[in-house]
Amino acid sequence: MSGHLLVANGISKRFGGLVAVDDVSIHVNKGEMVGLIGPNGSGKTTLFDCLSRVQEIDQGKIEFDGVDITKKRPHLVAHLGLSRTFQVIRVYRELTVLENMELSLQWGKVSTAKLFQKPDSSTRDKADQLIDFLLLSRLRNEQAGTLSGGQRRLLEIGMSLMSDPKLVLLDEATSGVNPALVEEIKVRLQILNQEQGVAFLLVEHDVRFVKDLCDRVVVLNYGALLAEGSPQEIMENKDVIEAYFGDDGETDAPEGNDTTVEAKSEGVI
Amino acid sequence: MRRLVESKAFRRVAVMLSLAVLAWLVVLPLRESTTNSTLFSLTLMLTTIAISINWNLTGGFTGYVDFGHAVWFGIGAYVTAILMTKQTSGLGIGWPAFPAIVLGALIAGGMAAVIGKATMRLKGPYFSIAMLGTFVAVREIVRVASPLTGGGVGLTLPPYLNRQLFYYIELGLVVALICFTWWLRRTRFGSALIAVREDEVGAEMRGINATRLKVTVFSFAGGSTGLFGGLWAFQNTFVDPDIAFVESRTIDAVMGTMLGGIGTVAGPVVGSAALYWLREVLWANFLDYHLIIQGLLLIMIVLYVPKGIVGLFDPRSTSIVTLWSRWFGGESVDAYGSSEDLVQMNDSADSTNDHKTEVTS
Amino acid sequence: MSQLLQVIINGIALGGMYTVLVLGFSIIWGVLGVINFAHGEFVMLGAYTAWLANDQLGLDPFLAAPLVFLFMMMVGFAVQKILVNRVIDRPHLVSLLVMFGVSIILSNGMKLIFSADFRRNDTALDGSWQLMDGVTIPVTKFFVLLAALGIVSALSVFLQRTRMGKSIRAAAQNREAARIVGIDVKKVYAITFALCIGITGAAGALISPILAVQPFQGPPLTLKAFAITAMAGLGSIKGALGGAMILGLIEAGLAIYISGIGTNLAVIASFVILVVALVLRPQGLFGGLRPVDAMAS
Repeated sequence: MSGHLLVANGISKRFGGLVAVDDVSIHVNKGEMVGLIGPNGSGKTTLFDCLSRVQEIDQGKIEFDGVDITKKRPHLVAHLGLSRTFQVIRVYRELTVLENMELSLQWGKVSTAKLFQKPDSSTRDKADQLIDFLLLSRLRNEQAGTLSGGQRRLLEIGMSLMSDPKLVLLDEATSGVNPALVEEIKVRLQILNQEQGVAFLLVEHDVRFVKDLCDRVVVLNYGALLAEGSPQEIMENKDVIEAYFGDDGETDAPEGNDTTVEAKSEGVI
Repeated sequence: MRRLVESKAFRRVAVMLSLAVLAWLVVLPLRESTTNSTLFSLTLMLTTIAISINWNLTGGFTGYVDFGHAVWFGIGAYVTAILMTKQTSGLGIGWPAFPAIVLGALIAGGMAAVIGKATMRLKGPYFSIAMLGTFVAVREIVRVASPLTGGGVGLTLPPYLNRQLFYYIELGLVVALICFTWWLRRTRFGSALIAVREDEVGAEMRGINATRLKVTVFSFAGGSTGLFGGLWAFQNTFVDPDIAFVESRTIDAVMGTMLGGIGTVAGPVVGSAALYWLREVLWANFLDYHLIIQGLLLIMIVLYVPKGIVGLFDPRSTSIVTLWSRWFGGESVDAYGSSEDLVQMNDSADSTNDHKTEVTS
Repeated sequence: MSQLLQVIINGIALGGMYTVLVLGFSIIWGVLGVINFAHGEFVMLGAYTAWLANDQLGLDPFLAAPLVFLFMMMVGFAVQKILVNRVIDRPHLVSLLVMFGVSIILSNGMKLIFSADFRRNDTALDGSWQLMDGVTIPVTKFFVLLAALGIVSALSVFLQRTRMGKSIRAAAQNREAARIVGIDVKKVYAITFALCIGITGAAGALISPILAVQPFQGPPLTLKAFAITAMAGLGSIKGALGGAMILGLIEAGLAIYISGIGTNLAVIASFVILVVALVLRPQGLFGGLRPVDAMAS
C-alpha cells in the first residue's frame, strides 16, 4: 500500500508477567494525523517505545516507509525519517536551546568527513527558523535545564522536527504546557501537517486537542486495541466510555469546558 | 563571573599564560641547572597529563567513567617491550623502538575497540567495575603468559637513555593531544559525544549512532594511552606486570581530571599539573602521610568542588553530580531542577513503579 | 573421583568464606544504594582488630569475632554519620569516589601504624581432617563456613521477623513510601550500615587465619564482592550465598586441576565471570540497580 507510512502488525511486549502491549496492529498513512488515547497504564508509551525501537518487541513486525524496521537500531530508524518526543522530556539539559536544536540535525545525512567539521551555517539557520517558529527565540542561548516544563516540551518538539521527519510520534506534547501555548502548538502542528505533509501520531490527554487535530483516533486499553475510528465515533463509543469510567472514578479533568458532551469526554480522557 | 570568563580579554590572558608556560617548558631542558632526574620527573608528569586527557575523552565527554584505563598503558608498554626483545626484524632480534611503540599503540587501540564494544553496553558503575575487572584480568593474563611476557620476572629492554629526547617527544605529543581535544570538542563529533553523555537514548532517537561514537573515542583514548605506555617502557628499560599495570595510573587520571574539571578541555591538564605539584610538595614534607592526604583531598573534591578548578571559571562546565544523575534518572535533582522537574520525575517513577508492582505480583 | 570430591569440598569451604565477605557489601548496596568501595578495607580493619586481640589478649579469632563485630559496628556507625549520610541521595559515582577516598585513607593509615608487614593470625581450629585417601577438609575454612551459615540464618531471621528488619526491607524497596508510613529512614540506614560493617569486620576476623593480614589486602576483596554481587543480584542473601558458592567452586576447580598457574587463573576467572555476566545480562542487571529489586529473598 503506497499510502501507508507506518505499518505495525501484531505488536506484543511483555515485562515479566505483565503484558504491556498485546497484539496491537496500528498504521499511519502519509500526511495523516492519528491520535492514540487510553487510560493510564494502557500501554501507549510502551507502544511508542516499541514503534521507535527504544524497546525490543517480543512479537510482531514494524514497517516504516516500506522498510522493515523490526530489528533496526534506533538511530537508523531516525535516519529513515521517524522522529519522536518523550513523555519524560529528553533534552540535553546542559546545552543551550540552540545547541540542542543543532544536535538534532538529520544525522543520517552527515558523512564521516562532515562529522569532523564544525556545524555548518545551514543547520544553524534551520535551527533558528524552528526556534522562531516555536516562539523560543527569547531563550535561544539559555541552557535547556533552566527552561520551564512547557518550554522544554516545545524545544523537544522542535528537536524532533530538525531532521525533516516524515512521521513524528508526539508523547503528551501538551502536558505541563501553558493553555495559551497549547493552542499555539495546535496551530503549528496543523501548519506542518498541511504545508510539509508531516504525519503525526500523538498520545494525548487533552481530548479537545485530539479532536481538533486528528483524522483518526486509536484507543488502547490494557495493552490491547479497544477501538478505532474518527474522533466523533470514538467519543460516542460505549466501550471507550466504559474503559475510562469502569476502571476508576478519579480521572484528571483539565481546564473548563462549555458543552456537556465536551465535559463528559474531557472527564473521560 | 560569567561575563568575565566569556570576555575576550580573559581568553587572551589565558592563552598568553599557556603560551608562557609552554615556552618555559621548552626552554627548561636547555638550562644548565636542569638535572636528568628533574627531566624524567617532568616527563612522568607529561605522561600523567596525557593519560588524564585520554581518560577525560571517555569519562568526561562521553560520560563513561573508566576505572581500568591504565590497562591500555600496560598493554602499550608490554607490546613495545615484547617487540623490542623477542621479535625478529630485518636487523636481527628486536624491533627498533619507533615502530614497536607505534604498533603497541595500535594494538592497545584495537583491543580497546573490541573490549569497549562489549563493556560499553553497560551503564554507570557496572561499566566502571567491568573495566576494573578487565584491568585486573589482563594483568593476571600477562603474569601467566610467561613465554611471551616473561611472567612475573618481566622483560628488560635495550637501554637508551636520552632524557631530553623523550621529554621533547612527550611535550610535543601532549600539546598535540590538547589541540586535538580542543578541536574535537568543536566538531559535530564532539557535540554528539556530549549528547551521548547527556542522554544516550535521546541521542539515538535523534539519529546519533551512539555505539559507534563511544567505541571510536574509547579506542582512540586506549591507543593514545598505549602510545605513552610504549614510550614509558622504552625509557624505563624494564617492565613487569606490577609496574606496567598500576592502579594508581587510573587513580591519578581520575583525580587529576576531577580536580581540574571533568568534561572540559583544560581540566585534565590543569588538574594533573596541580596534582603533580601538590604531590611534590606533599612528598617532600609529609612523606608518610601523603597518600592519606590524597584520599582526604579526593573526598573533599567530590563533596565540595565537584566542578573542579576550571569549573570555578567556566559556568557551563559539567559536574560529576549532574553527569552521573543521567543514568539514574530520578535519583538526584541537579542544580537546575525546577519544581516541574520534580513532578516530571514523580510521574515517570510512578509509571515505572506500576510495571514493577505488577511484575512482582 | 577423590580429586573431584576435593574440589567440591574446597569450593564449598571457599564459598563459605566468600559469603561472609560479600554479605555486608551486597546489603549496603541494596538498601542504601551506596557502592562501598572501601569494603575490603573494612575487612582489613576487622582482621587487624582480631590480630591485635590475639597478639595482646591471646584471643582466638573465632572467639574474637563477636567482639570485632561490635567494635566494627561502632566504626561503621561513625563512618555513616560523618560521610555516608552526605552521599546517600547522590549519584553512584559520588559515593563510589568518596568510599574510594576512605579506602585510600584506611589502607595507608594502617600501613603507617602497623607497617606493610604480612601478619598471620593463629587459631586453635587449624590443620586438616583426613576424610579418605587423598581427600581432606581444611578445618579453619570449615569453621568459617559454619560461621557463615550461622550469620546468614541470623541475618535472615533478623530481616524477616524483627520490626527493624522489616523497616530495613521497606526502606530498601521504596525510600519515600517507607518515610510516609513513619519509618525513620535515616535511622534505618545508620543501623543497616553499622550492622553491615560489623558483619564485614567479623568476616575479616574469621578469615584472618586464612589470608595474611596486611594493609593492602582490601582491593581484591572489594572486587570479588563486586563480582559476586553483580552476578547474583544485590541485597539478596540467598544470591550472596549462591554467588559465593559458584565462585568458590570455580576457583577451587581451577586451582586443583590446573597446577602451577591455577591461582592466577582463578583471579582471571572471577573477573571474566564478572565481565561476561555483566555484558550478557545488561537489562537484568540494569533493572537490578534499582533498590526496588533488593532484598528479594
